[in-house]
Amino acid sequence: MSQRKPPELKLLFLERMKKLLSGEDFKKYLEIIKVPPVKSFRCNTLKIAPEKLKQRLENKGWKISQPWKEHSEVMIVENELEPGELGRALEHLLGYYYIQELASMLPVIALKPKPGERILDLCAAPGSKTTQLASEMKNKGVIFANEISLGRLRILASNLERCGVANVLLTRKEGSAFCNRFLKNYPEFKFDKILIDAPCSGEGTLRSSYQTYIMWNIKTVKSLPRIQKRLFLSAFKLLKKGGEIIYSTCTHAPEENEGVVSDILGFLGDSIEIIEPELPKELKSREGILEWEGVSFDSRVRLCRRIYPQDNDTEGFFIAKFRKVRELEGGINPNEGS
Amino acid sequence: MRESKLKILNEEEKKQFINKLKEQFGIKALDGLLVQRNEGKIYLFTGNLNKEELLKLLDFLDIDRIGVYFGKIQNDKIRLSIEGSQLLKDQISKNIYELSENEVFEWMKGQELLISTGKRDFLIMKSGDDFLGTGKASENKITNFIPKARRLKK
Repeated sequence: MSQRKPPELKLLFLERMKKLLSGEDFKKYLEIIKVPPVKSFRCNTLKIAPEKLKQRLENKGWKISQPWKEHSEVMIVENELEPGELGRALEHLLGYYYIQELASMLPVIALKPKPGERILDLCAAPGSKTTQLASEMKNKGVIFANEISLGRLRILASNLERCGVANVLLTRKEGSAFCNRFLKNYPEFKFDKILIDAPCSGEGTLRSSYQTYIMWNIKTVKSLPRIQKRLFLSAFKLLKKGGEIIYSTCTHAPEENEGVVSDILGFLGDSIEIIEPELPKELKSREGILEWEGVSFDSRVRLCRRIYPQDNDTEGFFIAKFRKVRELEGGINPNEGS
Repeated sequence: MRESKLKILNEEEKKQFINKLKEQFGIKALDGLLVQRNEGKIYLFTGNLNKEELLKLLDFLDIDRIGVYFGKIQNDKIRLSIEGSQLLKDQISKNIYELSENEVFEWMKGQELLISTGKRDFLIMKSGDDFLGTGKASENKITNFIPKARRLKK
């Protein structure tokens, strides 16, 4: 594993991570974030079968491994490649695979999309999870892929096109405004599943992006939960009874993770249940934490999953899964808890 | 009703489109709805929403696009995109140009092929199982339409 010198980590960030991880664990964390992530990608089964792609790439001289037995579409290039070679390869240009960090594949794996379902991907760009959804759905059913930013929407559109995603509607709207407009104009339309890969402080992406070192600040960590909760509570109204939601972030910050989940459980009472997400058996994940900086969370947040870089040689992630038990009486104020 | 940049083709328009595909490439059937967006660009939607549901959604949602870019109507003929050719790969039976290994790289770099095929028509470009969109054959060349973002770097 090659190492590089990242910019200096901010002291407050380090203090917070030290609180989350114990001595030896914290050291392992500090070591691994200096190392770039593995070269992982996901076979686009809409276009090619995993074994066929693997064979083809091995014929080029690439050494390919498949880390998760029940997910043969997930692959890693084990040998060194020229910088940018993974993205420049003919197979990539033809849409046979999507370059995606391993941990970023987990929310869709946990959601278990099926052909024929109606799924909302509320914060869809750049499209890694939307293309994964379509692949699992075999281009059947429908995905509403929504994105607020025009620039990111273009990237999303380009990735969906390259991957041959044909069961998608692409919309550009702020997430909760999308939900509210939908509910007002088409209340009888409900989704089977919803993915909220929420905007977050990105602490888990330190290995891929130096930008995270530069951008990180505590104000963002403290202000994002308001947006995250609003997105969730708006989306919940569009979910059918028995439907499921994944809430995920690529951050370790408890305020944006267990804090959000705990508040949601409080707001929604017995109209929602939290369930343990099923992740690949080979993957080590940790339970949600029950307390942070003097604030106790709902004990059910234990069912959330924390993914730390040092546990599986991935980026960091957080995943929570919910099922709608019944409609909430009296409605929800999406600004609640802000 | 809101003005939309997207137009869902009706049954008759879809039938005409499939007839053109049949004439050009031997295509017999095409599942899904066809949606037109900007200057003859046709998108294929395979989702489980019917035309009425889509029209209702178009009425209140800012839908940027529906489905996958499938091809373009050009001089009353259809120029399939890379994805269009891949989606129809099992049905395409005529007007095919099989690229050699070297030609694949030239083609994917966006270069025209300086060859005479004896045809003056749109041809499906393929190499084995790889379907690489459509080229336009003229007297001494095949014109390339691979978009910049999909080209191999020179």
